[in-house]
Amino acid sequence: MIKSQNVLTEVESKKFLKKAGIPVVEAKLARSKKETISISKKMGFPVVLKISSPDVVHKSDSGGVKLGLANATQVGKAYNEIISSVKKVYPKAQIEGVSVQSMAPPGVEVIVGMSKDPQFGPVLMFGLGGILVEVLKDVSFRIVPVTERDAREMIREIKGYPMLEGYRGQKPASIPALEKLIVKVSQFVEENPQIKELDLNPIFAYPDKAVAIDARIILE
Amino acid sequence: MFEEKLKEFEPLFYPKSVAVVGASSTSIKVGSVWVRALLSAGFPGPIYPVGSSGGKIFNLEIFPKLRLVPGEVDYVIVAIPRQSVLELLDDCAIKKVKAVQFFTAGFSEMGTPQGYRLEEQLLEKARQGGIRIIGPNCIGLYCAEHKMPSLMGKIGKTGPVGFISQSGGIAVKLIEIGIARHINYSKGVSFGNGIDLDASDFLQYLGADPKTKVIGAYLEGTRDGVRLFNTMKEVTKVKPLVALKGGRTEVGAQAAMSHTGSLASSAAIWSAMFRQAGAIEVHSLEELTDTLLIFQQLNRWQGTSAAIIGGLADGGGGISVSAGDACVERGLRIPPLSPETKQELGKLLGEVGSILRNPVDVSQAHGMATLFQAIDLVARDTIIDIVLIQEDIDILLPIYSWKGLEEINEFFIELGGKHNKPIIVILPPGSAEPERLQIEQKLLAASTPVFCSMERAAKAIYKLNQYSCWQEAQ
Repeated sequence: MIKSQNVLTEVESKKFLKKAGIPVVEAKLARSKKETISISKKMGFPVVLKISSPDVVHKSDSGGVKLGLANATQVGKAYNEIISSVKKVYPKAQIEGVSVQSMAPPGVEVIVGMSKDPQFGPVLMFGLGGILVEVLKDVSFRIVPVTERDAREMIREIKGYPMLEGYRGQKPASIPALEKLIVKVSQFVEENPQIKELDLNPIFAYPDKAVAIDARIILE
Repeated sequence: MFEEKLKEFEPLFYPKSVAVVGASSTSIKVGSVWVRALLSAGFPGPIYPVGSSGGKIFNLEIFPKLRLVPGEVDYVIVAIPRQSVLELLDDCAIKKVKAVQFFTAGFSEMGTPQGYRLEEQLLEKARQGGIRIIGPNCIGLYCAEHKMPSLMGKIGKTGPVGFISQSGGIAVKLIEIGIARHINYSKGVSFGNGIDLDASDFLQYLGADPKTKVIGAYLEGTRDGVRLFNTMKEVTKVKPLVALKGGRTEVGAQAAMSHTGSLASSAAIWSAMFRQAGAIEVHSLEELTDTLLIFQQLNRWQGTSAAIIGGLADGGGGISVSAGDACVERGLRIPPLSPETKQELGKLLGEVGSILRNPVDVSQAHGMATLFQAIDLVARDTIIDIVLIQEDIDILLPIYSWKGLEEINEFFIELGGKHNKPIIVILPPGSAEPERLQIEQKLLAASTPVFCSMERAAKAIYKLNQYSCWQEAQ
C-alpha cells in the first residue's frame, strides 16, 4: 500500500487526463450497489467494474476488477464480490466504491508511463502491454519533452513493434494515434510537475484511435 | 552556435604560460612528471614549476609560492594534497590566473561529507576570484596543436577528432590508442568531478571549435542531466558525437560512484537520452575508437552495400563466409555484383568456384597484375558502396615476400582515391605480427582505415551510416 493522499484514483486520474486531451474510457464513481446499477444502465451494457480505493495498487490481483457485465443482475453480484474480496486482501483500505465504465472492445494492449529520473527528470516509457512489458521488459524510453519524431522512434524501437502492424488477423494499431497520445502525455507531465509517476495501463490501440482503459497518477 | 565558448576557452587550450604546482627537486612527485611532460611535448610558452622544496627541476627554477612566479600565468596544473588547495586559490587570484586544473583528488568522489564540503569551498573561492576550474580529480587538457600534453607527455598528430572524458585514465588511453591507430585529435579534456566546467561546457566548446569535426565522449554521470541533454542535441546538429557511458551495469555503477562521485542512472535512460539527442552510443573503449577512426576518415557516408574481397593469395572461402556473416549481422548488405562485373571477372579469372559471388574470392588471380585488375573490377562496380578487403599477412608474406606485400598495400591506398568510395582493410593479428603492424601503420598513415576484425569494421561502418541517415532526416 502507498500513502493514500499521493495516489489519485482511476476516476480522478482520468478526469485530469481527459481535460488534457488524452483519450480515456470515462469512468464514473459509484458509492453503492444501487448507484452502480443505475450508472451501468445509463452507460449501457456490457460494463466493467473496478474497485475505487487509493490504497489498492493491484486491482485485479485482489479481485477488484470484473469485466463484461451484461445486465443489472450481473452488475449487482459483481459489486458484492469486489467489495468483499478487496476487504479480505486489504482489510485497512479506504474504499470509496467502484468505478463503472463501458467495456471497451479488444485492441492491441500498450502501456505508456512516466517516472522521474534523478539526472534527467521526467522520462516517458512505451511498451506493449501484458507479458511483453512485465517479463521481457520490451520497452523504450524518452526524456520529456518528447517530440513527434521521438514518439515515432520510441514506438518503432520496441522489439514487439510488428505486433502493432497487425498480427495473425488482429487489426493493426493506429501508429499516428499512439504518437499523438505520447506527445500529449509528454505535454501533460511537463505542465504538471507535481506528478511523480503516471501509468496508462493498458491503452487499447485500434486501427483509428488509441484509448487509455486504466490510468493511475501518483503525486509528489 | 556556442561561439562565445571559443574565446572563453582560448586561455585553456592555448595558454601562453603554465605553472605546475606540486613540483619537487628532491623527491619524485606527480607535479614533476607534469613538468617533464610539458617539456618533452615542447610546450611553446614559459613553464613555471612551483613547490616548497625550491631548487631546480629539469633546469627550471622551482618557485616556493605561485605568487612569486615573475611572469604572467594563464593556466595552472595542481598536484598537491587537497588540504592545501584553498590557500593556493588565493595565489591564483593574485596572479590573475584564468584556469586551474586539479589533478588533486579526495573530493566528492570519496562520498564523505568532508569531500563534498571541500569541493563546495573550492568552487566558491574560484568563483570569487573569477577562476575557472577543471576537475578536481582529472588530468585536464590535451591540445596537440599547442603542444599541451597529457600526463604522459605524448603528443600525437593534430586532426579532426575532439574528445571529452570524465575519467583521466580513459583520456590517456584515448590519446595512446590515437597515436597507435592514427586517430588524430584536435583537443581533448578529462574533467573529473566537473565542479565548474563540465561535460556540457566542453561539448559546447568542441561543438563550436572549427578544428573539431567529430567528438568522442566518455561519461559516467552528470550533475545537470537536462543541460547535458540539451547541449548534446545542439552539438549533434553540426557534428557527429560518439558516446560511451561508463557504469552501465550494477557493478560498474558502483565503481562510477566511487570514481567520480556522480549519481548513477539506469543504462536504459542514458541510451534513450543518447538516441534522442542524436548521439551515437558505443559500448566499449574499443568500439569508441573504432567509430572515431571511421568518422575521421570518412566523415559522412551513406550506403551499406559492401563488397568483401578475400583470398588474396589462396582460397579464403571460410574466412570470407564468416566475414559475410559479420557484416550482415551488423546491418551491412553484401549484394551480388552486377552482371557486367561478373562477366569481366569471369573473363579475367575463369568461371570457377565461388569467385563471382560476393564475398569475392580472388584466389584464382595468379600474379599481382591480375589480382589488382580483379580487385579494381569489384571496386568500380556501382552497386557497391564500400569495399572491405580481408588481408592475411601470414599467408601473403611467404608467397609475395615483403616487397610484394608493400606493393599490394600501395595498390589498396591508390584504389581508395580512384573510385571515390571507401576502401577498408581488415588485418587480423597472426604470427607475422611485426610485418602486420608495419603494414597497418603504412595504411593508416595514408588515411586508409584498418581494423583487426571484420566484426569491428562492420560495426563502425554501420554506425557511421546510421548517423549519416539520421542527419539527412533532420
